[in-house]
Amino acid sequence: MSGQAPAIVGVEGLAAGYDGRPVLTDVGFSLPGGSSLCVLGPNGGGKTTLFRVLTGELAPLAGRVHVEGRPAYVAQTDRTRLDFPVSALDVALMGTLPGGRWWLPARRSERSAAQAALERVGLGAEAGERFGKLSGGQRQRVLLARALVQDAAVLLLDEPLSGVDPVSGELIARLYVELAEEGRAVLVSTHDVESARDFDLVLCLNRRQVTFGPPGAALRRDALEQTYGREMIVLEGEQPARAITVQHHEH
Amino acid sequence: MIAGLPSPLDLVELPFMRTALAELALLAVAGGLVGAWIVLWRQAFFAHAAGTATFPGLVAADASGVSPTLAGLAVALGYAGGVERAGRSGRAPSEAATALVLVAALAVGVVLASDVFESGGSVDRLLFGSLLGLDGGDLALSAAGATLAAVATVLLGRAWTAMAFDPEGATGLALPAARAELLLLGLIAATVVTAIPAVGALLVTAVFVVPAAAARLVAASVPTLIGWSVALAALEGAIGLYLALWLDVPPGPAVALTGAAAFALVMAVTAAR
Repeated sequence: MSGQAPAIVGVEGLAAGYDGRPVLTDVGFSLPGGSSLCVLGPNGGGKTTLFRVLTGELAPLAGRVHVEGRPAYVAQTDRTRLDFPVSALDVALMGTLPGGRWWLPARRSERSAAQAALERVGLGAEAGERFGKLSGGQRQRVLLARALVQDAAVLLLDEPLSGVDPVSGELIARLYVELAEEGRAVLVSTHDVESARDFDLVLCLNRRQVTFGPPGAALRRDALEQTYGREMIVLEGEQPARAITVQHHEH
Repeated sequence: MIAGLPSPLDLVELPFMRTALAELALLAVAGGLVGAWIVLWRQAFFAHAAGTATFPGLVAADASGVSPTLAGLAVALGYAGGVERAGRSGRAPSEAATALVLVAALAVGVVLASDVFESGGSVDRLLFGSLLGLDGGDLALSAAGATLAAVATVLLGRAWTAMAFDPEGATGLALPAARAELLLLGLIAATVVTAIPAVGALLVTAVFVVPAAAARLVAASVPTLIGWSVALAALEGAIGLYLALWLDVPPGPAVALTGAAAFALVMAVTAAR
């Protein structure tokens, strides 16, 4: 991470929610290009709400939000339709739609970009496979390829490692580093405390911002307890804390 | 009574059969194309509802000398706009509420026909169509529907595919999602109305849903789905019309039954694989 780089994501005094009722308050952080941020919190803690604000889908109830360009967003994979008649390449090609030519057929250069993105996530040979027939981890990588095609300065990945196989998990985690090295800002939401250590910065949310900073400072026991409450089991007493969370997954 | 097997050439040599066949070919394009989007967007019930909701309007227009097509179009488009608006505000009508509206629409239509306009004889025609009594105007209307469906599919197909595949992920794709959805519902409503003279308010799904639903069972891509959907709709139309000629049964229901049989066959074959 380059500490001097200007912020390409900036959030100040944010409150967000639905039907005028806030579900997330007091959020403020900034993220320079070339850095990765882990957004940590329990289910219902406001991770997805924050991402919806950053994509522009949800207007903030209060505060200011700045995101450079249009962010690429990878929603949780279990919301896609597995019976849908599309190939991996078709899905990656959807990443060319924000280019502003959505009413025209895909160009050859767009097809090449989609194929290259699939190769980057290790699925070049599976381009013609039906999306629903791929494994959970492969499907997540295809959705990541769709985001890569968008060539966005900011990438938002909502629980990308939930339910994926170890090989896909490692490949996806390596990609965070590569994308940050290219100067992008990568925001990844998760409830996995241990994986948060590999990021440049950590933001803990539990309906409000509990803490924000480098992992060594943010992953302190008191912060994790405020973030997860009773859902957390601290494995060791040292700082930064080592902990796992026990949650019911309700999507 | 079952007559001797007629020559398939009768379908093109008898003028009223030729018109019916041309109408079914045009409806196959509209129904096959729009049907593909209906099944991908899971809007089969909406398509059925848009057709049925027009019934009281058709009865009133028919009895008062107003164009039933225009009345049907107004009701169907109004219904589509209402559904889109309700969905956007998070108050989409439940399936039970929609079913209630449809029952009411049918009942009101029948009461209007029997007691208000005393035009009960038209009920059968408006509900099940009169494929053998069409004129050039009906063909022109269906041609317009087919053209509209083709243009919309070319221009909006990529956006509709991305939105139906992953509604949440598509929010980041800079698509005019609300307008694209409204256009889809409007297209379904408008094209369904063009099929009413031929197959009636109750049987529009025979052309707009059944062939696409069968194609959906075998197609591995959206273009293949569209191709199979149009081809099946055309084939079912021709076979249904031939069966109607042979067995002397009403052609609309014959087309619907052929579609149902084809769907069952495709489902049995895919299940056996």
